[in-house]
Amino acid sequence: MSRYRGYLSLAGAYVRFNLKAQLAYRGGFVSQVAAMFLNNGCWLAFWILFFHRFPVLNGWRREDLVTLWALSASGFGLAHALLGNSWSLPQLIMQGQLDAWMLYPRPLLSHLLLGSSRATAWGDLLFGFVAFALLVHPGLAGWAAFGGSLLAATILFVAVSVFSGSFAFFIGSSAAVAEQYRFAMITFSTYPGALFGGVAKLLLFTLLPAALISDVSVEAVRSVSLKGVATALAGSLAFLALATAVFYRGLRRYESGNLTTLRE
Amino acid sequence: MSKYRFLVRTSARSSLAYWGDLLASSLFLLLILFIFLKLWRVTYASTGSQLLAGLTLPQLLWYLGAAESLSLSRPRITPEVDADVRTGALAVHLLRPLSYPLYRLATHLGERLLRLGLYLVLAVGLCWLFTQEWVISPRGFLLFALALPLALLLDFLAYFLIGLGAFWLEDTQGLTLLYSRLQLLLGGTLLPLPLFPDWMQQILSVLPFAGSVYGPARLFVAPDGHFLGQVWLRQGVAVGLLWAAVAAVFHLAVRRVEAQGG
Repeated sequence: MSRYRGYLSLAGAYVRFNLKAQLAYRGGFVSQVAAMFLNNGCWLAFWILFFHRFPVLNGWRREDLVTLWALSASGFGLAHALLGNSWSLPQLIMQGQLDAWMLYPRPLLSHLLLGSSRATAWGDLLFGFVAFALLVHPGLAGWAAFGGSLLAATILFVAVSVFSGSFAFFIGSSAAVAEQYRFAMITFSTYPGALFGGVAKLLLFTLLPAALISDVSVEAVRSVSLKGVATALAGSLAFLALATAVFYRGLRRYESGNLTTLRE
Repeated sequence: MSKYRFLVRTSARSSLAYWGDLLASSLFLLLILFIFLKLWRVTYASTGSQLLAGLTLPQLLWYLGAAESLSLSRPRITPEVDADVRTGALAVHLLRPLSYPLYRLATHLGERLLRLGLYLVLAVGLCWLFTQEWVISPRGFLLFALALPLALLLDFLAYFLIGLGAFWLEDTQGLTLLYSRLQLLLGGTLLPLPLFPDWMQQILSVLPFAGSVYGPARLFVAPDGHFLGQVWLRQGVAVGLLWAAVAAVFHLAVRRVEAQGG
């Protein structure tokens, strides 16, 4: 237990430090946060127009779609605002920049991920909460289900970033492949799960686990189901375990970049 | 004009060097058309209607294929103009016997035409695969091609104008993102204009966004000479206004260029 407390306290210190570093360029930070907020707002506006014209889509209503966007945006945002290096993993591996992190007396992956924060992720995080509060009007139980599902979505996005980032250990210049995989995950986790069936659905529960958000979590929030939240959490943790295993398996193939550098 | 034609050719050739990027965008086109197919198939089934926005399901998917091709093929103009302004490269351009806006237009068109051709071929293949129906006709392709020049010019002028904002603004990225998202939403890339609420359609008919995506994409699947006339009128007005704005802003901006050193 004390190990987890120690990690949380370290994470808190990193978050404060990363946020302070970003706020040093306050104008740039605010404009990136606002730009991402606006970007998500435009997509949500499309869906609001869509549901204005077609109020029900395979059992999905406007509130379900807003919940989906709120979970995906804030889950992605929380994952990359706190653990921003998960997004940069392909570059860190390809440029041999893991060396510096290996010198610390801490588990490599969990420590390495804390190393940076993406400014735009704060915009995603903020957007998710604002959209859910203003357009879904949840009660206390709704917020509780949202909180649990948000944790599951955050774990899942970290896992997806680590999993795809680890491709770099195996196929060298993999940034483009990792990017496509991540964009596919983001795309599928922002469209209703009810659209897909058959093989597509199977893939969305396994290879590209977006259905954990677009099916399981949205249903959990809609019906305020503890079982649904637990299922989403279990699925996300299983994918995180897989991603961690792939990372450490790939690490055996890692070659030092002999890079002497001062960490930012 | 031959020097600008040369720039168009050179730009198209050099963009071929980045085939990895082209391939990545092609994968995105495949993904998004697959999702749209699922979305609209469910939508048509749930409404029980054969026609939405005056289009059948296969026509709508082909429309979205053309609209996505137009959107994805747009190269990033604003960062290049922004960089020319901030690094002072613009001062060097001004020494050349070329008009800077026309130089940027030519390089933009070279890359864009190549990408558009590639994405259209891919979109046609995917749409045929997904719908098993051949929706376009030679007339549709002709009217699409006739609506294209002003659509591409309109797009270029809008983003070039934003790029020139670098003379006064700390950062043009936010403005670029805002315009691109408005274009995505209001230009018909995601939703054909007749599916918007009536009051919005009135407003959208006087905004420039539809001229660069909705107009040409609609002509692609539903060719109509009268509609082409309307598209040209809207495009012509938008291009005229943007052209005047670019000329005025560029004139003002060039006065602010300061070249130092050698």
